[in-house]
Amino acid sequence: MAFKRESIVPYLYLLPWIIGFTLFMGGPIIAAIVISFTKWDLLTPPTWVGLSNFINMFSAGSEFWVILKVTLIFMVFSVIITMCWSLFTALLLNQRVRGTGIFSFFYFAPAVVPLISLTFVFQLMFNKELGIVNYVLSLVGMEGPNWLMDSRLALWVVTVLCIYTYFTGQMMLIFDSALKEVPKELYEAAEIDGANAVNKFFKITIPAISPIFFFNLVTGTINSLNTSFALIYPLTAGGPGQATQVMSLDIYVNAFKNFRMGYASAEAVILFAITAMMSLLQFRLSKKWVHYEA
Amino acid sequence: MKKRLLVSLLVLGLVCMLVPAGYSADTTVVKYAHWNALSEEYNYVKAFEEKYPDIKIEFTLIPEAEYSQKLTTMIMAGTAPDVMCLWECDISRFANGGFVIPLDDYVSQSEAFTLDDFIPAVQGLIEMQGNLYGLPWCFATEIMYYNKDLFDKAGVSYPDENWTWEDFENAAQKLTVVENGKVEQWGCDALSFQGLWYSLIGTFGDDIVNDKGQFSMGEGAKEFLKWWYRLTNEEKVVAPPQISTSGIISTDLFVAGKAAMAFNGSWMASVYRDIQNFKWDIAPIPKGVRQYSTLHTGFFTVNSASKVQDAAWQFIEFCMGEEGQELINKAANNPSARLSILEKGYYRVQGPMGPENWDAIDKTAQFAQWGYVLLPSGLTFDIVKDFNAAILGQIGTDEVVEKAINRAKEILGEEGVASE
Repeated sequence: MAFKRESIVPYLYLLPWIIGFTLFMGGPIIAAIVISFTKWDLLTPPTWVGLSNFINMFSAGSEFWVILKVTLIFMVFSVIITMCWSLFTALLLNQRVRGTGIFSFFYFAPAVVPLISLTFVFQLMFNKELGIVNYVLSLVGMEGPNWLMDSRLALWVVTVLCIYTYFTGQMMLIFDSALKEVPKELYEAAEIDGANAVNKFFKITIPAISPIFFFNLVTGTINSLNTSFALIYPLTAGGPGQATQVMSLDIYVNAFKNFRMGYASAEAVILFAITAMMSLLQFRLSKKWVHYEA
Repeated sequence: MKKRLLVSLLVLGLVCMLVPAGYSADTTVVKYAHWNALSEEYNYVKAFEEKYPDIKIEFTLIPEAEYSQKLTTMIMAGTAPDVMCLWECDISRFANGGFVIPLDDYVSQSEAFTLDDFIPAVQGLIEMQGNLYGLPWCFATEIMYYNKDLFDKAGVSYPDENWTWEDFENAAQKLTVVENGKVEQWGCDALSFQGLWYSLIGTFGDDIVNDKGQFSMGEGAKEFLKWWYRLTNEEKVVAPPQISTSGIISTDLFVAGKAAMAFNGSWMASVYRDIQNFKWDIAPIPKGVRQYSTLHTGFFTVNSASKVQDAAWQFIEFCMGEEGQELINKAANNPSARLSILEKGYYRVQGPMGPENWDAIDKTAQFAQWGYVLLPSGLTFDIVKDFNAAILGQIGTDEVVEKAINRAKEILGEEGVASE
């Protein structure tokens, strides 16, 4: 049976992505699953240990439970904070005022600064003895805490600092363009009907941008689970104790500092499953609140 | 004719691509990795290239925090450099995996040095490994730094090798300045470098790593942590722990003149020698139930997959010779592990304000041991985070030691941890 030219061409266009996915994503995912059943220190041949890595991970005294709890708290609150902040700044940029271009630049500027530089600046700013944050507090007679070394505060400081990451800046740009697409007539009609700003926001803006809101929610959740490492590792290294030890960081430490590739791969498999479940759940729930037609 | 010209140009282009830019065809290129940046003033790589113009060294700087894992992944990817300066905890792993070659034959034929010229601790480590897989680029210890101006102001006598922890505590109390209920000057800075925890615990009697190579920590660690907690939180003479990711801190209270004493690696003398605004000096870590400090080094090794092993050895031989050792010692303020060079004191490069008491390093070298440096760096990374949490009162001091032992069992296996 001869293939028609028209039926082959689309697949040829897709081929580079399929090859790239198979080599750089599919292959490593399968490799990680296989390695999760082994004990491997990278330098000597791996040995098959069956489910032992998973059993250790889920055992009663395992640190995995603490790390999972920190990961989920960080995920929920970092997504809420980054979503709210990026939507808030995008709304500000859509106000009818002069100089929104300048504001846009300032809001987005932290996103283009390399994260590693930002984290060292944050370390300095939040230093208990020499940091500017505690210096400002001392001017009003307050003694500042040890922000990044206090286990009750560290996770919250790190979560709030997410607003300076590239991802939040990108979310803001996406929200900004979505807000510009909301038909102005809807607002005019609502104003005639006497709607106030709050009503307009919840009854018009949110439903109108709900597909974009959903997109940012899903990608923000995935980002929080998988790439929080880049912020947390240089900022707190997961400490004090395990106060900011999220799973992506623990995977790195086990794989490349303790050379426990098998255990780290088992953690990666679980993180993959959690991320997939979260995304699936969000897709399921989205049917109730995402409106694809204006 | 045109075709032949085109082919010739293509061949020429290919040859140009194969020979690295700036090198002639008969130049041998040796790739070399280290965690220390090359000093402009004491550049041993440049000195080697001037002496051996037909060998070029391609230097790769790998940050200390990622050094071990980066070299491991490079080995696995087949991209590891020809000469690697390996840490104590890595050299056995690399040797057992056959990733570095034995240097016995090269050393026996060398006229630059002999093996009996090395400090005893290095000889011991070489014996532990069976064959000779690496040569120590220099060595370092962990010591105490103190601000002489602040000591003079408080009327406290300078620390020496006879100081005990009691002397330290008394001095720290006198050197702490409180104004309006806020500490303006600390007796001692918090522990920033990860290894210091082990060195101080060692003075409280724990082996850290016993003679069987097992992780060994217990009562000494509990006692030390309780005492350090008291000094930090009750006496408030030691600064509370600050964020220190992988040993890198963005603030240093000693340099800022806000801490009269600090503990750190002897290599920090090469950083502190730039201090301009106060006089400072060094002393051994005070005594507890015994004197203890950690010995550090790195070993020049040759990658077994290297195609330029002879040239790689030539570079190592130069570095281990007097000319190379002098430059290395001066650059990092680290003494040579070769006894005949150590006594010449090349490492004693003084800044305008200090240090003067170089004997502190020599004396420390006499009792210092390979301790935690033989353990995987990840274990230290995990344990130290918990030690900081204990000093901040977030976890009990006894609990943190039990946790450290369990963590060591997880990573090293039951056989890697001494029974209590």
